[in-house]
Amino acid sequence: MARFYKHLKAAYRRAVGLQRPGKSLVIFPDDVFLVSFPKSGNTWTRFLIANLRFPNEPATFDNINRLLPDTTATPKRVFDSMPRPRIIKSHECFEPRYPRVINVVRDPRDVVVSQYKYHQKIRKIEVDSPIEKFVTRFLNGETCPHGSWGQNVATWLYTSEGSPRYLQLRYEDLIADTPRELEKVAKFLNLATSPALLAQAVERSSADKMRKMEKQQDHGLYRGSRQDMTFVRAAGSGGWHKDLPMDQVARIESAWGPLMHHLGYELATITPQEAGEFAAFGSATNIPR
Amino acid sequence: MIKRLVAGYKKAFGLNKPGRLLKVFPDDVFIVSYPKSGNTWTRFLIANLVYPEKHPDFANINLLVPDPEGVTRRDLERLPRPRYLKSHAYFDHRYPKVLHIVRDPRDVVLSEYYFDIKRNAIPEGFPVDQFVSRFVKGELSHPYGTWAENTATWFYTRANTPRLLLVTYESLQSDAPRQMARIADFLGIPTTPERIAFAIEQSSADRMRELEKKQGHLWSSTKRTRQDKPFVRAAKAGGWKKELSPDSIHEIESHWGRLMQELGYELASGPAAANGAADAPPMRAEFQTGVQQDPAGAQLAGRR
Repeated sequence: MARFYKHLKAAYRRAVGLQRPGKSLVIFPDDVFLVSFPKSGNTWTRFLIANLRFPNEPATFDNINRLLPDTTATPKRVFDSMPRPRIIKSHECFEPRYPRVINVVRDPRDVVVSQYKYHQKIRKIEVDSPIEKFVTRFLNGETCPHGSWGQNVATWLYTSEGSPRYLQLRYEDLIADTPRELEKVAKFLNLATSPALLAQAVERSSADKMRKMEKQQDHGLYRGSRQDMTFVRAAGSGGWHKDLPMDQVARIESAWGPLMHHLGYELATITPQEAGEFAAFGSATNIPR
Repeated sequence: MIKRLVAGYKKAFGLNKPGRLLKVFPDDVFIVSYPKSGNTWTRFLIANLVYPEKHPDFANINLLVPDPEGVTRRDLERLPRPRYLKSHAYFDHRYPKVLHIVRDPRDVVLSEYYFDIKRNAIPEGFPVDQFVSRFVKGELSHPYGTWAENTATWFYTRANTPRLLLVTYESLQSDAPRQMARIADFLGIPTTPERIAFAIEQSSADRMRELEKKQGHLWSSTKRTRQDKPFVRAAKAGGWKKELSPDSIHEIESHWGRLMQELGYELASGPAAANGAADAPPMRAEFQTGVQQDPAGAQLAGRR
Protein backbone atom coordinates (compact mmCIF):
# COMPACT_ATOMS: atom_id res chain seq x y z
CA MET A 1 0.00 0.00 0.00
CA ALA A 2 2.80 2.37 0.91
CA ARG A 3 4.27 1.67 -2.49
CA PHE A 4 0.98 2.55 -4.12
CA TYR A 5 0.87 5.94 -2.38
CA LYS A 6 4.46 6.57 -3.40
CA HIS A 7 3.49 5.93 -7.02
CA LEU A 8 0.40 8.11 -6.70
CA LYS A 9 2.46 10.94 -5.25
CA ALA A 10 5.02 10.61 -8.03
CA ALA A 11 2.24 10.61 -10.63
CA TYR A 12 0.72 13.77 -9.12
CA ARG A 13 4.07 15.54 -9.03
CA ARG A 14 4.65 14.49 -12.62
CA ALA A 15 1.24 15.76 -13.71
CA VAL A 16 1.87 19.25 -12.30
CA GLY A 17 5.51 19.34 -13.42
CA LEU A 18 7.14 19.15 -10.00
CA GLN A 19 9.42 16.22 -10.80
CA ARG A 20 13.15 16.83 -11.27
CA PRO A 21 13.98 16.05 -14.92
CA GLY A 22 17.49 14.66 -14.32
CA LYS A 23 18.73 12.73 -17.36
CA SER A 24 15.28 13.01 -18.99
CA LEU A 25 15.64 16.78 -19.44
CA VAL A 26 14.49 17.97 -22.84
CA ILE A 27 17.41 19.93 -24.23
CA PHE A 28 17.01 22.93 -26.55
CA PRO A 29 19.65 23.77 -29.17
CA ASP A 30 20.40 27.13 -27.52
CA ASP A 31 20.94 25.69 -24.02
CA VAL A 32 24.24 26.28 -22.27
CA PHE A 33 25.43 23.91 -19.56
CA LEU A 34 27.60 24.85 -16.61
CA VAL A 35 29.36 21.59 -15.88
CA SER A 36 31.85 20.59 -13.22
CA PHE A 37 32.82 17.82 -10.90
CA PRO A 38 31.22 18.49 -7.48
CA LYS A 39 33.13 20.82 -5.13
CA SER A 40 34.92 22.60 -7.93
CA GLY A 41 33.46 26.05 -7.47
CA ASN A 42 30.25 25.22 -9.28
CA THR A 43 28.01 27.14 -6.85
CA TRP A 44 30.20 30.22 -6.93
CA THR A 45 30.37 30.19 -10.72
CA ARG A 46 26.64 29.70 -10.76
CA PHE A 47 26.19 32.85 -8.68
CA LEU A 48 28.65 34.78 -10.85
CA ILE A 49 26.92 33.84 -14.08
CA ALA A 50 23.42 34.31 -12.69
CA ASN A 51 24.39 37.77 -11.44
CA LEU A 52 25.81 38.60 -14.85
CA ARG A 53 22.85 37.28 -16.79
CA PHE A 54 20.14 38.71 -14.48
CA PRO A 55 21.51 42.03 -13.18
CA ASN A 56 18.05 43.02 -11.99
CA GLU A 57 17.66 40.09 -9.64
CA PRO A 58 20.65 39.46 -7.37
CA ALA A 59 21.28 35.73 -6.95
CA THR A 60 20.58 34.19 -3.55
CA PHE A 61 20.47 30.68 -2.19
CA ASP A 62 16.68 30.96 -2.46
CA ASN A 63 16.40 31.87 -6.14
CA ILE A 64 19.50 30.24 -7.64
CA ASN A 65 17.68 27.03 -8.52
CA ARG A 66 15.29 29.11 -10.57
CA LEU A 67 17.80 31.51 -12.17
CA LEU A 68 20.34 28.88 -13.10
CA PRO A 69 18.56 25.59 -12.58
CA ASP A 70 19.99 22.21 -11.67
CA THR A 71 18.63 19.16 -13.51
CA THR A 72 18.47 17.18 -10.28
CA ALA A 73 17.10 19.93 -7.99
CA THR A 74 14.83 22.19 -10.05
CA PRO A 75 11.27 21.13 -10.98
CA LYS A 76 10.55 20.43 -14.61
CA ARG A 77 8.01 23.23 -14.93
CA VAL A 78 10.67 25.81 -14.12
CA PHE A 79 12.76 24.44 -16.99
CA ASP A 80 9.76 24.64 -19.31
CA SER A 81 8.89 28.25 -18.54
CA MET A 82 12.22 29.98 -18.08
CA PRO A 83 13.67 32.53 -20.53
CA ARG A 84 15.87 31.21 -23.35
CA PRO A 85 18.71 30.67 -23.78
CA ARG A 86 18.76 28.70 -20.57
CA ILE A 87 21.93 28.24 -18.55
CA ILE A 88 21.77 24.95 -16.68
CA LYS A 89 23.97 23.50 -13.95
CA SER A 90 25.06 19.88 -14.07
CA HIS A 91 27.73 17.54 -12.68
CA GLU A 92 27.40 15.01 -15.50
CA CYS A 93 30.26 13.42 -17.37
CA PHE A 94 30.44 14.07 -21.13
CA GLU A 95 27.00 14.29 -22.65
CA PRO A 96 26.93 14.75 -26.46
CA ARG A 97 23.46 16.27 -26.28
CA TYR A 98 24.73 19.36 -24.44
CA PRO A 99 24.98 21.99 -27.21
CA ARG A 100 27.39 24.33 -25.43
CA VAL A 101 29.36 23.76 -22.26
CA ILE A 102 31.20 25.85 -19.67
CA ASN A 103 33.37 23.47 -17.69
CA VAL A 104 34.93 24.53 -14.39
CA VAL A 105 37.85 22.39 -13.27
CA ARG A 106 39.70 22.54 -9.96
CA ASP A 107 42.87 21.04 -8.56
CA PRO A 108 41.79 17.58 -7.34
CA ARG A 109 43.94 17.95 -4.23
CA ASP A 110 41.70 20.85 -3.19
CA VAL A 111 38.56 19.11 -4.43
CA VAL A 112 39.15 16.11 -2.20
CA VAL A 113 39.60 18.29 0.88
CA SER A 114 36.49 20.29 0.03
CA GLN A 115 34.41 17.17 -0.48
CA TYR A 116 35.79 15.61 2.71
CA LYS A 117 34.65 18.63 4.74
CA TYR A 118 31.34 18.82 2.89
CA HIS A 119 30.56 15.18 3.63
CA GLN A 120 31.20 15.93 7.31
CA LYS A 121 28.81 18.85 7.13
CA ILE A 122 26.02 16.84 5.55
CA ARG A 123 26.70 13.96 7.97
CA LYS A 124 27.73 11.49 5.30
CA ILE A 125 30.88 10.74 7.26
CA GLU A 126 31.93 11.30 10.87
CA VAL A 127 33.99 14.36 11.70
CA ASP A 128 36.87 12.19 12.88
CA SER A 129 36.76 9.86 9.86
CA PRO A 130 40.34 9.47 8.53
CA ILE A 131 41.13 11.35 5.34
CA GLU A 132 43.12 8.36 3.98
CA LYS A 133 39.94 6.38 3.78
CA PHE A 134 38.18 9.23 2.03
CA VAL A 135 40.98 9.60 -0.53
CA THR A 136 40.66 5.91 -1.38
CA ARG A 137 36.96 6.30 -2.08
CA PHE A 138 37.61 9.56 -3.92
CA LEU A 139 40.11 7.89 -6.26
CA ASN A 140 37.64 5.08 -6.91
CA GLY A 141 34.86 7.51 -7.75
CA GLU A 142 32.74 6.36 -4.82
CA THR A 143 32.16 9.71 -3.14
CA CYS A 144 29.52 10.96 -5.57
CA PRO A 145 27.47 9.59 -8.46
CA HIS A 146 29.39 11.38 -11.23
CA GLY A 147 32.41 9.16 -11.77
CA SER A 148 35.80 9.92 -10.27
CA TRP A 149 37.40 13.35 -10.65
CA GLY A 150 39.75 11.98 -13.31
CA GLN A 151 36.99 10.28 -15.25
CA ASN A 152 34.63 13.24 -15.11
CA VAL A 153 37.29 15.73 -16.22
CA ALA A 154 38.74 13.39 -18.86
CA THR A 155 35.42 12.80 -20.58
CA TRP A 156 35.09 16.55 -21.18
CA LEU A 157 38.68 17.36 -21.88
CA TYR A 158 39.40 14.60 -24.38
CA THR A 159 36.21 15.14 -26.32
CA SER A 160 35.80 18.89 -26.26
CA GLU A 161 39.04 20.78 -25.62
CA GLY A 162 39.60 23.34 -28.35
CA SER A 163 36.02 23.30 -29.57
CA PRO A 164 34.21 26.61 -30.04
CA ARG A 165 31.27 25.01 -28.24
CA TYR A 166 33.33 24.47 -25.11
CA LEU A 167 34.77 26.91 -22.57
CA GLN A 168 37.07 25.56 -19.91
CA LEU A 169 37.75 27.59 -16.78
CA ARG A 170 40.03 26.78 -13.89
CA TYR A 171 38.72 27.56 -10.44
CA GLU A 172 42.17 28.83 -9.57
CA ASP A 173 42.07 31.39 -12.41
CA LEU A 174 38.62 32.47 -11.34
CA ILE A 175 39.98 33.15 -7.84
CA ALA A 176 43.06 34.95 -9.17
CA ASP A 177 41.26 37.29 -11.57
CA THR A 178 37.50 36.97 -11.40
CA PRO A 179 36.52 39.80 -13.78
CA ARG A 180 38.87 38.58 -16.48
CA GLU A 181 37.52 35.02 -16.34
CA LEU A 182 33.92 36.20 -16.11
CA GLU A 183 34.45 38.28 -19.22
CA LYS A 184 35.35 35.06 -21.06
CA VAL A 185 32.02 33.67 -19.95
CA ALA A 186 30.20 36.75 -21.17
CA LYS A 187 31.87 36.46 -24.57
CA PHE A 188 31.04 32.77 -24.76
CA LEU A 189 27.40 33.52 -23.92
CA ASN A 190 27.25 36.55 -26.25
CA LEU A 191 26.17 38.70 -23.33
CA ALA A 192 26.59 42.44 -23.73
CA THR A 193 28.57 43.57 -20.73
CA SER A 194 30.67 46.35 -19.26
CA PRO A 195 33.36 46.60 -16.58
CA ALA A 196 30.71 47.98 -14.23
CA LEU A 197 28.36 45.05 -14.82
CA LEU A 198 31.21 42.58 -14.37
CA ALA A 199 32.26 44.27 -11.14
CA GLN A 200 28.70 44.19 -9.89
CA ALA A 201 28.37 40.46 -10.57
CA VAL A 202 31.70 39.78 -8.85
CA GLU A 203 30.72 41.85 -5.85
CA ARG A 204 27.31 40.19 -5.52
CA SER A 205 28.95 36.76 -5.58
CA SER A 206 31.84 37.47 -3.20
CA ALA A 207 32.70 34.87 -0.57
CA ASP A 208 31.69 37.32 2.18
CA LYS A 209 28.31 37.99 0.59
CA MET A 210 27.73 34.29 0.05
CA ARG A 211 28.69 33.48 3.63
CA LYS A 212 26.22 36.07 4.89
CA MET A 213 23.45 34.77 2.63
CA GLU A 214 24.18 31.21 3.71
CA LYS A 215 23.62 32.24 7.33
CA GLN A 216 20.44 34.19 6.68
CA GLN A 217 18.61 32.11 4.14
CA ASP A 218 16.65 29.00 4.89
CA HIS A 219 17.35 27.59 1.48
CA GLY A 220 16.62 23.96 2.22
CA LEU A 221 19.70 22.97 0.26
CA TYR A 222 21.63 21.92 3.32
CA ARG A 223 18.76 21.36 5.73
CA GLY A 224 19.58 18.78 8.37
CA SER A 225 23.30 19.36 7.92
CA ARG A 226 25.69 20.36 10.69
CA GLN A 227 25.16 24.03 11.42
CA ASP A 228 28.60 24.38 13.01
CA MET A 229 30.18 23.83 9.59
CA THR A 230 29.63 26.08 6.59
CA PHE A 231 28.96 25.33 2.93
CA VAL A 232 30.90 28.38 1.77
CA ARG A 233 34.26 27.46 3.26
CA ALA A 234 37.72 28.86 2.57
CA ALA A 235 36.88 29.98 -1.00
CA GLY A 236 40.57 29.81 -1.87
CA SER A 237 43.00 27.60 -3.69
CA GLY A 238 45.98 25.60 -2.50
CA GLY A 239 44.49 24.64 0.88
CA TRP A 240 45.71 21.11 0.27
CA HIS A 241 49.26 22.16 1.19
CA LYS A 242 47.99 22.45 4.74
CA ASP A 243 45.10 19.97 4.89
CA LEU A 244 46.28 17.01 2.83
CA PRO A 245 49.12 14.75 4.09
CA MET A 246 51.93 14.31 1.55
CA ASP A 247 51.36 10.57 1.17
CA GLN A 248 47.77 11.30 0.10
CA VAL A 249 48.97 13.97 -2.33
CA ALA A 250 51.23 11.31 -3.82
CA ARG A 251 48.34 8.90 -4.32
CA ILE A 252 46.30 11.49 -6.18
CA GLU A 253 49.24 12.54 -8.34
CA SER A 254 50.13 8.99 -9.24
CA ALA A 255 46.55 8.35 -10.34
CA TRP A 256 45.93 11.53 -12.30
CA GLY A 257 49.35 13.15 -12.75
CA PRO A 258 49.22 13.51 -16.56
CA LEU A 259 45.78 15.05 -16.49
CA MET A 260 46.75 17.43 -13.65
CA HIS A 261 49.94 18.43 -15.44
CA HIS A 262 47.99 19.07 -18.63
CA LEU A 263 45.63 21.36 -16.71
CA GLY A 264 48.61 23.30 -15.35
CA TYR A 265 48.59 22.01 -11.79
CA GLU A 266 52.13 21.71 -10.53
CA LEU A 267 52.91 18.24 -9.23
CA ALA A 268 54.52 18.02 -5.79
CA THR A 269 55.56 14.38 -5.55
CA ILE A 270 56.51 13.33 -9.09
CA THR A 271 57.95 15.02 -12.16
CA PRO A 272 55.75 15.46 -15.22
CA GLN A 273 58.08 13.03 -17.02
CA GLU A 274 57.41 10.41 -14.40
CA ALA A 275 53.70 11.14 -14.59
CA GLY A 276 53.79 10.29 -18.27
CA GLU A 277 52.07 11.52 -21.38
CA PHE A 278 48.74 13.29 -21.42
CA ALA A 279 46.94 10.12 -22.43
CA ALA A 280 44.77 7.37 -21.13
CA PHE A 281 45.24 6.45 -17.50
CA GLY A 282 47.81 3.78 -17.57
CA SER A 283 49.62 3.30 -20.81
CA ALA A 284 47.58 2.87 -23.93
CA THR A 285 50.35 1.25 -25.88
CA ASN A 286 49.85 -2.30 -24.66
CA ILE A 287 46.49 -3.04 -26.21
CA PRO A 288 46.75 -6.60 -27.43
CA ARG A 289 46.13 -6.65 -31.15
CA MET B 1 -2.16 14.65 -22.83
CA ILE B 2 -3.08 11.21 -24.22
CA LYS B 3 0.61 10.68 -24.94
CA ARG B 4 1.47 11.44 -21.34
CA LEU B 5 -1.24 9.12 -20.05
CA VAL B 6 0.08 6.32 -22.20
CA ALA B 7 3.60 7.05 -20.96
CA GLY B 8 2.40 7.04 -17.35
CA TYR B 9 0.58 3.75 -17.83
CA LYS B 10 3.62 2.19 -19.45
CA LYS B 11 5.85 3.40 -16.64
CA ALA B 12 3.53 2.00 -13.98
CA PHE B 13 3.62 -1.44 -15.56
CA GLY B 14 7.32 -1.44 -16.43
CA LEU B 15 6.69 -1.24 -20.16
CA ASN B 16 8.92 1.81 -20.64
CA LYS B 17 12.39 1.43 -22.12
CA PRO B 18 14.82 2.75 -19.52
CA GLY B 19 17.83 3.69 -21.69
CA ARG B 20 20.24 5.75 -19.59
CA LEU B 21 17.85 5.54 -16.64
CA LEU B 22 18.47 1.79 -16.42
CA LYS B 23 18.89 0.42 -12.93
CA VAL B 24 22.34 -1.18 -13.05
CA PHE B 25 23.09 -4.32 -11.04
CA PRO B 26 26.60 -4.87 -9.69
CA ASP B 27 27.06 -8.06 -11.74
CA ASP B 28 25.87 -6.55 -15.04
CA VAL B 29 28.11 -6.86 -18.06
CA PHE B 30 27.93 -4.29 -20.85
CA ILE B 31 28.99 -4.78 -24.43
CA VAL B 32 29.65 -1.23 -25.47
CA SER B 33 30.49 0.12 -28.88
CA TYR B 34 29.85 2.97 -31.22
CA PRO B 35 27.14 2.04 -33.77
CA LYS B 36 28.37 0.02 -36.77
CA SER B 37 31.41 -1.32 -34.99
CA GLY B 38 30.58 -4.99 -34.96
CA ASN B 39 28.24 -4.76 -32.01
CA THR B 40 25.65 -7.14 -33.47
CA TRP B 41 28.28 -9.69 -34.36
CA THR B 42 29.73 -9.53 -30.82
CA ARG B 43 26.23 -9.84 -29.46
CA PHE B 44 25.76 -13.08 -31.41
CA LEU B 45 29.17 -14.34 -30.35
CA ILE B 46 28.39 -13.77 -26.66
CA ALA B 47 24.85 -15.13 -26.94
CA ASN B 48 26.12 -18.27 -28.68
CA LEU B 49 28.71 -18.72 -25.98
CA VAL B 50 26.43 -18.12 -22.99
CA TYR B 51 23.10 -19.47 -24.28
CA PRO B 52 23.92 -22.04 -27.01
CA GLU B 53 20.75 -23.95 -26.11
CA LYS B 54 18.59 -20.97 -27.07
CA HIS B 55 19.84 -20.93 -30.69
CA PRO B 56 20.38 -17.18 -30.87
CA ASP B 57 18.96 -15.52 -33.98
CA PHE B 58 17.48 -12.18 -35.03
CA ALA B 59 14.16 -13.13 -33.45
CA ASN B 60 15.50 -13.63 -29.92
CA ILE B 61 18.77 -11.69 -29.77
CA ASN B 62 17.00 -8.60 -28.42
CA LEU B 63 16.04 -10.57 -25.34
CA LEU B 64 19.21 -12.63 -24.93
CA VAL B 65 21.59 -9.68 -25.06
CA PRO B 66 19.24 -6.71 -24.83
CA ASP B 67 19.82 -3.01 -25.28
CA PRO B 68 18.36 -0.97 -22.38
CA GLU B 69 17.08 1.46 -25.01
CA GLY B 70 15.26 -1.23 -26.93
CA VAL B 71 13.71 -3.46 -24.30
CA THR B 72 11.17 -2.75 -21.57
CA ARG B 73 12.07 -2.37 -17.93
CA ARG B 74 9.99 -5.42 -17.10
CA ASP B 75 11.92 -7.62 -19.51
CA LEU B 76 15.22 -6.23 -18.25
CA GLU B 77 14.30 -7.04 -14.66
CA ARG B 78 13.36 -10.60 -15.59
CA LEU B 79 16.62 -11.48 -17.30
CA PRO B 80 18.78 -14.20 -15.79
CA ARG B 81 21.77 -12.83 -13.88
CA PRO B 82 24.41 -11.87 -14.65
CA ARG B 83 22.83 -9.88 -17.45
CA TYR B 84 24.71 -9.35 -20.70
CA LEU B 85 23.60 -6.00 -22.06
CA LYS B 86 24.41 -4.25 -25.30
CA SER B 87 24.79 -0.50 -25.46
CA HIS B 88 25.98 2.34 -27.68
CA ALA B 89 26.19 4.68 -24.70
CA TYR B 90 29.06 7.07 -24.10
CA PHE B 91 30.77 6.84 -20.71
CA ASP B 92 28.52 5.82 -17.87
CA HIS B 93 30.41 5.41 -14.62
CA ARG B 94 27.77 3.04 -13.27
CA TYR B 95 28.54 0.27 -15.76
CA PRO B 96 30.45 -2.25 -13.63
CA LYS B 97 32.15 -4.26 -16.37
CA VAL B 98 32.53 -3.12 -19.94
CA LEU B 99 33.56 -5.04 -23.02
CA HIS B 100 34.49 -2.20 -25.37
CA ILE B 101 34.43 -3.05 -29.06
CA VAL B 102 36.27 -0.45 -31.13
CA ARG B 103 36.47 -0.30 -34.90
CA ASP B 104 38.51 1.77 -37.34
CA PRO B 105 36.41 4.93 -37.91
CA ARG B 106 37.26 4.85 -41.60
CA ASP B 107 35.34 1.59 -41.83
CA VAL B 108 32.65 2.69 -39.37
CA VAL B 109 31.73 5.62 -41.59
CA LEU B 110 31.26 3.36 -44.61
CA SER B 111 29.17 0.92 -42.63
CA GLU B 112 27.03 3.77 -41.34
CA TYR B 113 26.73 5.09 -44.90
CA TYR B 114 25.30 1.83 -46.23
CA PHE B 115 23.09 1.37 -43.19
CA ASP B 116 21.67 4.89 -43.63
CA ILE B 117 20.80 4.00 -47.23
CA LYS B 118 19.15 0.82 -46.04
CA ARG B 119 16.99 2.72 -43.59
CA ASN B 120 16.24 5.57 -45.96
CA ALA B 121 18.08 8.23 -43.98
CA ILE B 122 19.97 9.17 -47.16
CA PRO B 123 19.15 8.41 -50.79
CA GLU B 124 21.08 5.87 -52.76
CA GLY B 125 24.08 7.45 -54.47
CA PHE B 126 24.52 10.12 -51.80
CA PRO B 127 28.11 11.45 -52.16
CA VAL B 128 30.38 9.55 -49.75
CA ASP B 129 32.65 12.58 -49.25
CA GLN B 130 29.75 14.63 -48.06
CA PHE B 131 28.66 11.84 -45.76
CA VAL B 132 32.14 11.65 -44.24
CA SER B 133 32.06 15.39 -43.52
CA ARG B 134 28.77 15.03 -41.75
CA PHE B 135 30.07 12.04 -39.83
CA VAL B 136 33.11 13.94 -38.61
CA LYS B 137 31.09 17.02 -37.70
CA GLY B 138 28.65 14.97 -35.70
CA GLU B 139 25.64 15.45 -37.96
CA LEU B 140 24.35 12.00 -37.25
CA SER B 141 21.07 10.20 -37.25
CA HIS B 142 21.67 8.87 -33.74
CA PRO B 143 22.30 10.48 -30.35
CA TYR B 144 25.59 8.83 -29.34
CA GLY B 145 28.05 11.59 -30.21
CA THR B 146 30.81 11.36 -32.80
CA TRP B 147 32.99 8.27 -33.10
CA ALA B 148 35.84 10.03 -31.32
CA GLU B 149 33.71 11.51 -28.56
CA ASN B 150 32.05 8.21 -27.81
CA THR B 151 35.25 6.20 -27.97
CA ALA B 152 37.30 8.74 -26.01
CA THR B 153 34.88 8.82 -23.09
CA TRP B 154 35.49 5.10 -22.49
CA PHE B 155 39.09 4.87 -23.55
CA TYR B 156 40.45 7.76 -21.51
CA THR B 157 38.55 6.85 -18.38
CA ARG B 158 38.91 3.09 -18.20
CA ALA B 159 41.56 1.78 -20.61
CA ASN B 160 43.83 -0.65 -18.78
CA THR B 161 41.65 -0.87 -15.72
CA PRO B 162 40.13 -4.17 -14.64
CA ARG B 163 36.67 -2.80 -15.42
CA LEU B 164 37.12 -2.49 -19.17
CA LEU B 165 38.36 -4.86 -21.83
CA LEU B 166 39.10 -3.24 -25.16
CA VAL B 167 38.79 -5.49 -28.19
CA THR B 168 39.09 -4.13 -31.69
CA TYR B 169 36.74 -5.32 -34.40
CA GLU B 170 39.81 -5.92 -36.55
CA SER B 171 41.37 -8.31 -34.03
CA LEU B 172 38.08 -10.18 -33.69
CA GLN B 173 38.09 -10.57 -37.47
CA SER B 174 41.66 -11.77 -37.71
CA ASP B 175 41.80 -13.99 -34.66
CA ALA B 176 38.37 -14.69 -33.25
CA PRO B 177 39.30 -17.75 -31.14
CA ARG B 178 42.00 -15.90 -29.24
CA GLN B 179 39.91 -12.76 -28.71
CA MET B 180 36.91 -14.80 -27.63
CA ALA B 181 39.06 -16.57 -25.06
CA ARG B 182 40.16 -13.18 -23.71
CA ILE B 183 36.56 -12.02 -23.62
CA ALA B 184 35.31 -15.15 -21.86
CA ASP B 185 38.09 -14.84 -19.34
CA PHE B 186 37.29 -11.18 -18.67
CA LEU B 187 33.56 -11.80 -18.38
CA GLY B 188 34.08 -14.89 -16.24
CA ILE B 189 32.23 -17.20 -18.63
CA PRO B 190 33.39 -20.76 -18.04
CA THR B 191 34.20 -22.19 -21.45
CA THR B 192 36.23 -24.58 -23.56
CA PRO B 193 37.94 -24.15 -26.95
CA GLU B 194 35.17 -26.30 -28.43
CA ARG B 195 32.42 -24.05 -27.12
CA ILE B 196 34.27 -21.00 -28.41
CA ALA B 197 34.68 -22.60 -31.83
CA PHE B 198 30.98 -23.43 -31.85
CA ALA B 199 30.01 -19.85 -30.94
CA ILE B 200 32.23 -18.46 -33.69
CA GLU B 201 30.82 -20.83 -36.26
CA GLN B 202 27.24 -20.10 -35.22
CA SER B 203 27.94 -16.35 -35.57
CA SER B 204 29.74 -16.47 -38.91
CA ALA B 205 28.92 -13.83 -41.50
CA ASP B 206 27.43 -16.50 -43.79
CA ARG B 207 25.17 -17.86 -41.09
CA MET B 208 24.09 -14.36 -40.02
CA ARG B 209 23.33 -13.48 -43.64
CA GLU B 210 21.16 -16.55 -43.90
CA LEU B 211 19.34 -15.71 -40.68
CA GLU B 212 18.86 -12.14 -41.85
CA LYS B 213 17.25 -13.34 -45.08
CA LYS B 214 14.70 -15.33 -43.11
CA GLN B 215 14.21 -12.95 -40.18
CA GLY B 216 15.24 -9.47 -41.33
CA HIS B 217 11.64 -8.37 -41.35
CA LEU B 218 11.27 -9.39 -37.69
CA TRP B 219 14.24 -7.69 -36.07
CA SER B 220 13.75 -4.20 -34.59
CA SER B 221 16.85 -2.74 -36.29
CA THR B 222 15.91 -3.89 -39.78
CA LYS B 223 12.15 -4.37 -40.00
CA ARG B 224 11.21 -0.90 -41.24
CA THR B 225 14.15 -0.65 -43.61
CA ARG B 226 14.78 -1.48 -47.25
CA GLN B 227 14.66 -5.23 -47.62
CA ASP B 228 16.69 -5.10 -50.85
CA LYS B 229 19.76 -4.04 -48.84
CA PRO B 230 21.47 -6.35 -46.34
CA PHE B 231 22.26 -5.46 -42.71
CA VAL B 232 25.08 -7.99 -42.58
CA ARG B 233 27.24 -6.47 -45.28
CA ALA B 234 30.91 -7.12 -46.09
CA ALA B 235 31.81 -8.19 -42.51
CA LYS B 236 35.41 -7.25 -43.28
CA ALA B 237 38.04 -4.80 -42.16
CA GLY B 238 39.83 -2.29 -44.38
CA GLY B 239 37.11 -1.58 -46.95
CA TRP B 240 37.93 2.12 -46.60
CA LYS B 241 41.18 1.68 -48.51
CA LYS B 242 39.17 1.08 -51.67
CA GLU B 243 36.07 3.12 -51.03
CA LEU B 244 37.16 6.35 -49.33
CA SER B 245 38.74 9.22 -51.25
CA PRO B 246 42.11 10.58 -50.04
CA ASP B 247 40.31 13.76 -48.99
CA SER B 248 37.87 11.85 -46.83
CA ILE B 249 40.64 9.81 -45.26
CA HIS B 250 42.54 12.98 -44.52
CA GLU B 251 39.48 14.62 -43.03
CA ILE B 252 38.95 11.77 -40.57
CA GLU B 253 42.60 11.45 -39.69
CA SER B 254 43.20 15.16 -39.17
CA HIS B 255 40.40 15.30 -36.63
CA TRP B 256 40.82 12.01 -34.86
CA GLY B 257 44.36 10.92 -35.74
CA ARG B 258 45.66 11.11 -32.24
CA LEU B 259 43.02 8.84 -30.76
CA MET B 260 43.25 6.50 -33.76
CA GLN B 261 46.98 6.14 -33.22
CA GLU B 262 46.59 5.50 -29.54
CA LEU B 263 44.20 2.72 -30.44
CA GLY B 264 46.78 1.31 -32.82
CA TYR B 265 45.30 2.33 -36.17
CA GLU B 266 47.91 3.34 -38.68
CA LEU B 267 47.26 6.65 -40.38
CA ALA B 268 47.31 6.78 -44.16
CA SER B 269 48.24 10.47 -44.21
CA GLY B 270 51.26 9.68 -42.04
CA PRO B 271 51.74 10.23 -38.34
CA ALA B 272 52.07 13.96 -39.02
CA ALA B 273 48.30 14.22 -39.11
CA ALA B 274 48.13 13.36 -35.44
CA ASN B 275 51.03 15.47 -34.28
CA GLY B 276 50.69 18.90 -32.83
CA ALA B 277 47.43 18.08 -31.10
CA ALA B 278 47.15 21.77 -30.30
CA ASP B 279 46.83 22.72 -33.96
CA ALA B 280 44.59 19.83 -34.86
CA PRO B 281 40.92 20.68 -35.20
CA PRO B 282 38.97 19.82 -32.04
CA MET B 283 37.20 16.51 -31.90
CA ARG B 284 34.01 18.27 -31.04
CA ALA B 285 33.15 20.21 -34.16
CA GLU B 286 31.32 23.51 -34.50
CA PHE B 287 27.74 23.02 -33.50
CA GLN B 288 25.26 22.97 -36.35
CA THR B 289 21.86 24.01 -35.18
CA GLY B 290 19.08 22.42 -37.08
CA VAL B 291 20.78 19.06 -37.25
CA GLN B 292 19.54 17.96 -33.87
CA GLN B 293 16.08 19.08 -34.72
CA ASP B 294 15.94 17.17 -37.95
CA PRO B 295 12.76 15.20 -37.39
CA ALA B 296 13.85 12.33 -39.61
CA GLY B 297 17.06 12.08 -37.64
CA ALA B 298 15.23 12.18 -34.32
CA GLN B 299 12.92 9.44 -35.45
CA LEU B 300 15.71 7.24 -36.62
CA ALA B 301 17.66 7.88 -33.45
CA GLY B 302 14.89 6.35 -31.42
CA ARG B 303 14.78 3.31 -33.60
CA ARG B 304 18.27 2.03 -33.42
